[in-house]
Amino acid sequence: MDAAEIPLKAPDLVIETPPSDVEQVERVLIDASTRIPVLMFYSSAIVWLLLGTVLAMLTSIKMHSPDLLANCSFLTWGRLRPAHVNVMIYGWASMAAMGTAIWLMARLCRTVLRHPLLLVTGAAFWNLGVLIGLIAILAGQSTGYQWLEFPPYVAAILFTAYLLIISWVVLMFRFRRGEQIYITQWYLLGAFLWFPWLYAAAQVMLFIVPVQGVLQAGINWWYANNLLFLWFGAIALGTAYYMIPKVIGRPVYSYHLATIGFWTYAVFSSWTGYQRLVDGPFPAWMITASIAATILTIIPVATVGLNHHMTMQGYFPLLRYSPTLRFTVFGAISYTAFSAVGVLISLRSVNRYLDFSQASIAYSHMGLYAFVTMILFGSMYYIVPRLVEREWRYASLIKLHFWASAYGVGLMSLMLLAAAVVQGSSLDDSTLPFNEATQSILPYLRGRSLAGLLMTASHFIFAFHFGLMLFGLGRTASVPTFLNPVEAEGSEPLL
Amino acid sequence: MKGLTPLFVGLFGTFMFSWIGLTVVPNAQIGRLDPQSLEEDTDIYPMPQSGMAERGRQVYNANGCIYCHSRWVRADYAGSDQDRKWGERRSAPRDYIFERPVLLGKMRTGPDLSNIGQRAPLEDENAAPGASPSPAASGAPATAAASPAPAAPNAQGKQPAPSPAVAAAGSKGAAPAPAPPAPAGSPASASSPAATAQQPASTTSLGSENKPNEAPMYSAAWHHRHLYSPRSVTLDSIMPAYRFLYDKRPISGQPSADALKLTGKDAPPEGWEVVPTYDARCLVAFLISSNQSHPLNEAKPPGGGGAAPKGSPAPAPAASPAAPGK
Repeated sequence: MDAAEIPLKAPDLVIETPPSDVEQVERVLIDASTRIPVLMFYSSAIVWLLLGTVLAMLTSIKMHSPDLLANCSFLTWGRLRPAHVNVMIYGWASMAAMGTAIWLMARLCRTVLRHPLLLVTGAAFWNLGVLIGLIAILAGQSTGYQWLEFPPYVAAILFTAYLLIISWVVLMFRFRRGEQIYITQWYLLGAFLWFPWLYAAAQVMLFIVPVQGVLQAGINWWYANNLLFLWFGAIALGTAYYMIPKVIGRPVYSYHLATIGFWTYAVFSSWTGYQRLVDGPFPAWMITASIAATILTIIPVATVGLNHHMTMQGYFPLLRYSPTLRFTVFGAISYTAFSAVGVLISLRSVNRYLDFSQASIAYSHMGLYAFVTMILFGSMYYIVPRLVEREWRYASLIKLHFWASAYGVGLMSLMLLAAAVVQGSSLDDSTLPFNEATQSILPYLRGRSLAGLLMTASHFIFAFHFGLMLFGLGRTASVPTFLNPVEAEGSEPLL
Repeated sequence: MKGLTPLFVGLFGTFMFSWIGLTVVPNAQIGRLDPQSLEEDTDIYPMPQSGMAERGRQVYNANGCIYCHSRWVRADYAGSDQDRKWGERRSAPRDYIFERPVLLGKMRTGPDLSNIGQRAPLEDENAAPGASPSPAASGAPATAAASPAPAAPNAQGKQPAPSPAVAAAGSKGAAPAPAPPAPAGSPASASSPAATAQQPASTTSLGSENKPNEAPMYSAAWHHRHLYSPRSVTLDSIMPAYRFLYDKRPISGQPSADALKLTGKDAPPEGWEVVPTYDARCLVAFLISSNQSHPLNEAKPPGGGGAAPKGSPAPAPAASPAAPGK
């Protein structure tokens, strides 16, 4: 807390030290000022992650063993599923993303974080909102709008929390130093501006002045897709734009590409949503507009992907050592895969088969997990040691975490996509009995549970490791924890 | 990028574009629909639903039925929905104007429910020779089959392999001649309990009338039984049971009229009965009220005529009997 009062730079003290040392001191001071709020966001996020994982396992297992824990109203499948989704979205991903965003902003604005209490209060309110929302869903008070199942009074709490958090962005910007606004800041500013608008628009149009009939579903999916792209996706891409150049110690390949990628991302991905309801009871132009926008998201995918790739060019061997880089690059590659799947399943010819199938579950997991969550993990591996001034204790645990997560989400996506193809083609063949479609995906759903086990293991490993760090049990060393011992090859990786 | 102004104008503008384009404009276009009134206002559709059905919508919502069941039918060129007889025309925005929340759904892990209120259970149609038209026939074999049938979910729950015992038990009583290939044993074992469930349906108020010679609609009793014990109706269903919507209580005096007719391991012990709670009855009222069969000018059924005769039980191949629809 005192860190907030420390002046950024005491010129008379450090005037004779070389500039790099000044920057070093400055960074340490900034990191120290963000310590309490960011660690609070991270530890809350990880608690929600574990809870959400347990809910996910139950949801997944009950899918193929429907009699498990079936006689308890608050453990019925139809309540566990939205509970899992909302805990992951608002508890885990939002809190982790905000924690990372706060740290990145402080670093990029080159200013210490003022009034950390504001953020701590905001995080506490946010936690309260998610907790009440979770209880409400399990008690059967879901609103029935996907990704928005928390009742409206919970939305009010979350919104209040968000206002406390956003007020810090304003402060940060007032006191920022330097003219240049880095790419990461575009994404973060975008996310922090878009989210409240999106959330408020959805709340107003669904609950306060509810729209009529099917439009509720349209706005629901518009919200869900925009939340995925403009909130989680924007923060994740911004983080990748920071972490990749930072870890390899090389500037971003092209600023122009980044500009194109950013603005096309903002325009096209915000128009998606209705492609989830192809041939639904809507005027066709709405659905077509969203399909077109989804196809056009290839442009930001290509430019961002190319930019990251060219930045990494020649530095791929560093994936062997740096945990942050490995997670971030996995996430960045997943962004491409996720978008490709998104384009594919939005096409009318494909959607005819895959609509109503497990494909949309695969799509959501590829977006929220393989892309967003993996990048957030990567950022945590970078940021947490700088906050607690300890290094990660066990390289082996990081490796386990990475491989269990990567194989887990990979297997899950493959299982669900394969299930979607099988299920979709059975559904489309009206001579086959309906149950055939559901029966045929059961093996894949069991495979999905297996993938879920891998991911559960990885989350508990990560939480344990994070706990060690939190309680000061990390390594005290001047060298970061590498995944593999660095050979004395002369070229020492910059982590 | 230098300067905050262009950045903020851009951020604001892009999202404004999407917000107006995908929420405000659609709301202007289809946000103020009125019911369709034909024949000089005597034929108004849709109408607001009854209190019980509305409450049933909340129960449907609270228990997350939406995550497995959609409630919209696609056009005939866009999917097999109409071939599956989930509806005779595509759904249109006007069908939903009174619905809140709208519960369109995105998944079909279970079948579409937009017209569940006017659909007939497939197994009853297909097992027609044995089950539905002959209360006399089904009365006896159903009770006879009652003892072997309930064992089936246990024995076979996982894999619908042919089970001679069950198939035999069913076909012996119910349908001597055509019960034939019975791939899953399910048409027999599934339809006979359903048939028993049909009998009380005519006595309960919520059920549609069951004329012996017509394929019956899904009755209230069928829904209750299905909600209480899905796998006693459809062997390989993966729907969770909603037993918490039912009360198991000792019979005081006369057994309740709405008590579920359960057999085998689902049956309550002697002197006890299982009755639906108010929520369960609302839920079933909601399901039975789900009906988009009324013609709409903007969504004509394909081919103009009613789609009912097309694709009726007749052409259904051998695989079809195993498809108890749910």
